[in-house]
Amino acid sequence: MITLQQVSRVYRRGADEVHALEQINLAIPDGTFVALMGPSGSGKSTLLSLIAGLDQPSSGNVAINGQMLSGLSEDQLAAWRAAHVGFVFQFYNLIPVLSAAENVEVPLLLTRLSKAARRQHVETALQIVGLADRQHHRPNQLSGGEQQRVAIARAVVVDPDLLVADEPTGDLDAKNADDILDLLRRLKNEFHKTIVMVTHDPRAERYVDQTFHLDKGVLVKKEE
Amino acid sequence: MPIPLKYNLRNLMVRKMTTLATAGGIALVVLVTILLLSLVTGLRQMLVSAGSPNTLIAMRKGATSDVMSFVTRDAVQALRYLPGVAQTAEGEPLVSPEFIKQPLLPTKDGGKEMVLVRGITPVGFLVHDRVRFVAGRAPRPAVREAVVGIAASRRYQGLGLGETLSFDERSWTIVGIFSADGAAFESEVWLDVGDLFKDGTAAGCSGVRFVIPPGTDREALIRRIAEDPRISLAARSEIDYYEEQAEGAKALYLLTMLLAIIMGTGAVFGAMNTMFAAVTHRTAEIGTLRALGFSRRSILTSFVAESVCLSLLGYVLGVVLGIAAVALVNQLMHGVAFQLASFSTAVVTLRVSPEILLLALGLAFLMGIVGGFFPARHAARLRVTEALRRA
Ligand SMILES: Nc1ncnc2c1ncn2[C@@H]1O[C@H](COP(=O)(O)OP(=O)(O)O)[C@@H](O)[C@H]1O
Ligand SMILES: [Mg+2]
Repeated sequence: MITLQQVSRVYRRGADEVHALEQINLAIPDGTFVALMGPSGSGKSTLLSLIAGLDQPSSGNVAINGQMLSGLSEDQLAAWRAAHVGFVFQFYNLIPVLSAAENVEVPLLLTRLSKAARRQHVETALQIVGLADRQHHRPNQLSGGEQQRVAIARAVVVDPDLLVADEPTGDLDAKNADDILDLLRRLKNEFHKTIVMVTHDPRAERYVDQTFHLDKGVLVKKEE
Repeated sequence: MPIPLKYNLRNLMVRKMTTLATAGGIALVVLVTILLLSLVTGLRQMLVSAGSPNTLIAMRKGATSDVMSFVTRDAVQALRYLPGVAQTAEGEPLVSPEFIKQPLLPTKDGGKEMVLVRGITPVGFLVHDRVRFVAGRAPRPAVREAVVGIAASRRYQGLGLGETLSFDERSWTIVGIFSADGAAFESEVWLDVGDLFKDGTAAGCSGVRFVIPPGTDREALIRRIAEDPRISLAARSEIDYYEEQAEGAKALYLLTMLLAIIMGTGAVFGAMNTMFAAVTHRTAEIGTLRALGFSRRSILTSFVAESVCLSLLGYVLGVVLGIAAVALVNQLMHGVAFQLASFSTAVVTLRVSPEILLLALGLAFLMGIVGGFFPARHAARLRVTEALRRA
């Protein structure tokens, strides 16, 4: 369960203040796939960063599965992310000099798993996204859709409860976008992941359980 | 677990040209350091190791080198029987009167240089106990035979075994080549002192070398030699004497050291520039690694490690170049010619030692750390959310 209570985030730019989020209250049950929509600059990425523990709110509380994020130090937060959150980005953010398998292995380097165990996990994750046969390819040898699937394998390889995705289909054509959305839905259905996705993609509505709309830092409407 | 090194190594490989250019800057510093230090080591070997603590040199008071000195035959005689001077088992005093000449001799590459020719007596080979014949034998008196130090033999024309040395309208047959632990003697020609004079007898000599038994009160003896009216000479230990001769080399040492520091600073800025560019280029990657849970510390370590890898590559290049350059100087140029305080030429053979390589390694390492630290700290200080926006 993700709960946000009275969450605000103010950015300071010199003397100016940007109220990116204002008094957000939000609850997302485990095992749901939700979309965050809204115009550009409405605070979607900011909200996602708070949920993922990349950033701290200016005021209010964020709790994930009972864990209050507000009190955690930067190192504690990093350790929490490593264990509990998988990340998917618009531009995949794979490391160009590492192969697909090595990219997927990166989060496992922060665990105590042996090399053999890591290889096992990497293989499983690549199988889930259907890219077991491309594990030795570098990102630049893969298509956008394939790169995003490698990124999703990297996001699930430590088996986190929560996946956050910031416009994961924003750089993909319709066919690949559908594949990625389908894959995310499958992760929710088969592996019971909670998924929070920022998107502009209207077709996302067909895949998600719930959509939240943000406008100028405020939640405007909640759809079941 | 830290960010694996292969990530850094592959990034270095991806930007091959930048890596090579930056490593090249570090290699240049390593090269200069190796050249400089092997020169200093060779020089020190030549001058300081030439001296033995139990050998003293007596010269005219005020003379800074035996070239400018003159010692009478009477003074030499008095010195021979001075208490506190070592003797052979047969009771022969270990006192070597030596007469110095500095003829100009042709070098192999067509120049002319003043070479120190040392006229000695047979006991001289006992006083200079580090002289070893690598070919041939000692010269016999009165038959115009000469022996040549290995460095001189390599550097000058016609100084090979069996060849003939000519100066002052006379000539000598070379019957031996000697080494002396790299000492300046290796740049000299030695022959019988009597042969140096047309009438076969010397009125005196330039300086006297003599041995004292270990444990002798050296300072007391030196005072005695200065105060004894029959002798009245300035004596000093060979070690002190050669350290004075090495004075001129110090300026060169400082100058080259300065050059190495300036070049090293340049190389550090080169490495810094390269690493800053790498951090800027990889900002989104840094954000991603941080999001995945890597700490600021591991980002810092990773970029410093990358910079150190870069400098180690430069070190390897520099060592290869440095060793090649030292070999080249020694083989093709027959060492580096040095003007001593006495104006004669001594040839320094460059010497690379493990200590030099270790010191250069330390230097390269330092350049890597310093050049990498500020960019790495910049990388580590980035805020995750801001770094990620740079995708
Ligand atoms: N680091 C920051 N510093 C200052 N302002 C920021 C920063 N990040 C975001 N903002 C501002 O906060 C608002 C919300 O940004 P963001 O969450 O990225 O919106 P969205 O993802 O919906 O496009 C925007 O006005 C943006 O300019
Ligand atoms: Mg955004």
